[in-house]
Amino acid sequence: MQVTVRVERSTGTASYSVDTKAQQTVLDVLFYIQNELDETLSFRCSCRVGMCGSCGMVINGKEGLACRTGLDRLGPVVTLQPMRHQGRIKDLVVDMGDFFSKYEAVRPYLTPRPEVQDPIVASPRSKLREAIDLGLECISCGLCLSACDVMTAVPEFLGPAALNRAYNLIADVRDDARDRRLAVVGQARSGVWQCHTHMSCVEVCPKNIAPTRAIAQLKQKLIVRRFMGHRERPIPKLQYIVKEGG
Amino acid sequence: MRTESVDILILGSGGAGLFAALHAYDQNPSLDILVVTKGLLGKSGCTRMVQGGFNVVLDPRDSIERHFTDTLKGGRYINDQELAWALVKDAPETINELETRVGCFFDRREDGTIHQKAFAGQSFDRTVHRGDLTGIEIMERLRDQVLGRGIHVLEEHRAVELVTEEDRVVGALVLDIRRGEFVGISARATLLATGGGPTMYKIAAPSLEKSEDGLALAYRAGALMRDMEMVQFHPTGLLAGAGRVTGSVLEEGLRGAGGYLFNARGERYMVHYDKEHLERATRDVVARAGYMEIMNGRHGPQGGVFIDVSHLGAAFVRKTFPGMVQRVKDIGCDLATGPVEVSPTAHFHMGGVAIDAAGHSSLLGLYVAGEDAGGVHGANRLGGNGVAESTIYGRRVGDALGREAMDLSLTITSEAEWERRAVHHTRFWRRGQGGNPAHLLLELKGLMWDRCGLVRREADLIACQESLEELEARVEHLSVGGDREYNLRWGDALNVESLITVSQMIVRSALVRTESRGSHYREDYPHEDHAHWLKTVYVQQSSESKTMQTMTRDIAFTRHIPEELKEVVNDVVPR
Repeated sequence: MQVTVRVERSTGTASYSVDTKAQQTVLDVLFYIQNELDETLSFRCSCRVGMCGSCGMVINGKEGLACRTGLDRLGPVVTLQPMRHQGRIKDLVVDMGDFFSKYEAVRPYLTPRPEVQDPIVASPRSKLREAIDLGLECISCGLCLSACDVMTAVPEFLGPAALNRAYNLIADVRDDARDRRLAVVGQARSGVWQCHTHMSCVEVCPKNIAPTRAIAQLKQKLIVRRFMGHRERPIPKLQYIVKEGG
Repeated sequence: MRTESVDILILGSGGAGLFAALHAYDQNPSLDILVVTKGLLGKSGCTRMVQGGFNVVLDPRDSIERHFTDTLKGGRYINDQELAWALVKDAPETINELETRVGCFFDRREDGTIHQKAFAGQSFDRTVHRGDLTGIEIMERLRDQVLGRGIHVLEEHRAVELVTEEDRVVGALVLDIRRGEFVGISARATLLATGGGPTMYKIAAPSLEKSEDGLALAYRAGALMRDMEMVQFHPTGLLAGAGRVTGSVLEEGLRGAGGYLFNARGERYMVHYDKEHLERATRDVVARAGYMEIMNGRHGPQGGVFIDVSHLGAAFVRKTFPGMVQRVKDIGCDLATGPVEVSPTAHFHMGGVAIDAAGHSSLLGLYVAGEDAGGVHGANRLGGNGVAESTIYGRRVGDALGREAMDLSLTITSEAEWERRAVHHTRFWRRGQGGNPAHLLLELKGLMWDRCGLVRREADLIACQESLEELEARVEHLSVGGDREYNLRWGDALNVESLITVSQMIVRSALVRTESRGSHYREDYPHEDHAHWLKTVYVQQSSESKTMQTMTRDIAFTRHIPEELKEVVNDVVPR
């Protein structure tokens, strides 16, 4: 299949004509261009199977991973742009520093409760995990931030991935930094209140995560806290969830 | 040139590199630690790509002795027993730390305890996992913890040379890929944790930026290397035509759960190769069987064999292997309802830098952890022991670095010396018209697949060696143009250079080992020869002539003599 590939490069839009084969993806096309047509083209990738989240870009106007976007879905003209709301290093390579500084702001790392000394006992059906499991497997690719409509008006907005991570930890009984994290996500200018539930993030997430859902949960927690003080549902006591003796 | 000096320089940001950074930091937060990574932090490399899971003894009915003997049996008894023992012994506490301190959450059984699934070559179901894409959880959470500690990281920087002074490694010359400039980094201690990744084969599984840089760097610096002939081919690499998904692994749990392998005639061919274990034989056996079927013409339209899990029930497959189902769906097939064409795919390098159980190499100041190291897995790695190695050894070596780094002196390399060394790595730029490194890589991949792959013969290996010399000479005629910033072609040239160096070690070692063992199969010596080959093949660059030297040494049975070796090995000799 003959495909015209328009790439929004640092130097302007470049157009390439590529003869593609079955089962090829946008990433395959980029390699072909770089290897055979224009050695100066730059893009980023690593795993090529949707696990590392390095090759996010805007493909025919919509965010996607180059390695998981098959050409058969795209038609005879493919337009490739770097992700939005992020600085550009070169061509399709963006600086993910902004994405990760937002991510870091929510304290994305487990702050372990010292009394948790062994893996918790948590049935797959338990309420304990259900909430979190839906939001795990984020590969921090940045597509959700690129697609987020709020970012245009409010560049400080923490964005879907960071808030989704924050919720996962706030809902995690093993974590000890719940209050500090809630304070971060509740900030007026950068926090959850900026989200207007457009669900653009949900549409583009390659892992089928729904950050909007996590954001809604966070809003609910903040409202409960506001009106009921700290009398929200208590964190389960550890003796019920820690396996005895290990 | 930019220069830096640090206490600990960590090359690589996979499971080994990041766990080492955390442990070194936690031992002594005042240490100046720098992580250098070829891609984005925690995103490049192969721990991230782990699918199946992590072998660990958690069940009281299992034992670390059993995990140990399974590992030795899988490695066909040429593992370094001390290294393999450290692996199985540290596995439970590593999983505990990942769950309770790092923040991972692995899949649970109905009763709420950690689920362990079946993998090949194991006497007990001991593989811990998160769905069928376990590496994402491990790397995201390790990365989060590194962010939390504020450890200094240089992303999209690659080491091109280790700097030695006498028999000491004193730092590394690093290329800043984004700017196209070099950085000279002096360090008291340097950890090599770039991961192996044998991508010099036509069909290969590792992430695309992998080029065994760490092994090439260590060899050129004079480190002692071992088991380089031992390259693992995974039996079920997906075939997706000209797409780059080709070669990616369909995880071992599919065979563990009872998946079948068929040839194009619809025969379950494993019956002819391992009647007892069938599809659950170890990777070396199953991969070679598939290769033989393919070479004998019983292959499908893409030159592969077929994996079929549909008899397990579509609902079960979709629930248990959602990542695999999705990947196969991406290429237009359905794993849950029918056969999928697969091929053996180059997956893992058992060989690497010779180390002790604290990660010391033969060069003072150079530590090695993860796939860059050799000896843990012997002649064949068990599925699920790979991410175990990278994380367990990351922890162990991180602890050693934290304890020892300040006892090593800091030697600052002069700016003039850095500049002198950098010139060599920019030589591709001085040429006008020259070869394309991407084309050279394709030639290398074809050569290694045909002549030094799953089935090896003396004549092929000698021919391969000669061809590699020719390819090596052609590296000097590659040319790179355009801007230096984020220049992928320059990266390709450096990659193919590393891969040729490592390929030469593979071929040389494969010629030395005149028997068949584990992943190394010699058609001209088709049997395992315990009487003569319970040995390690070492490779080292001669410090005077700069030529490749090989030597062999008997395996030290320091802990255990397997039943089937009792006739040829007498006593355990503790180290």
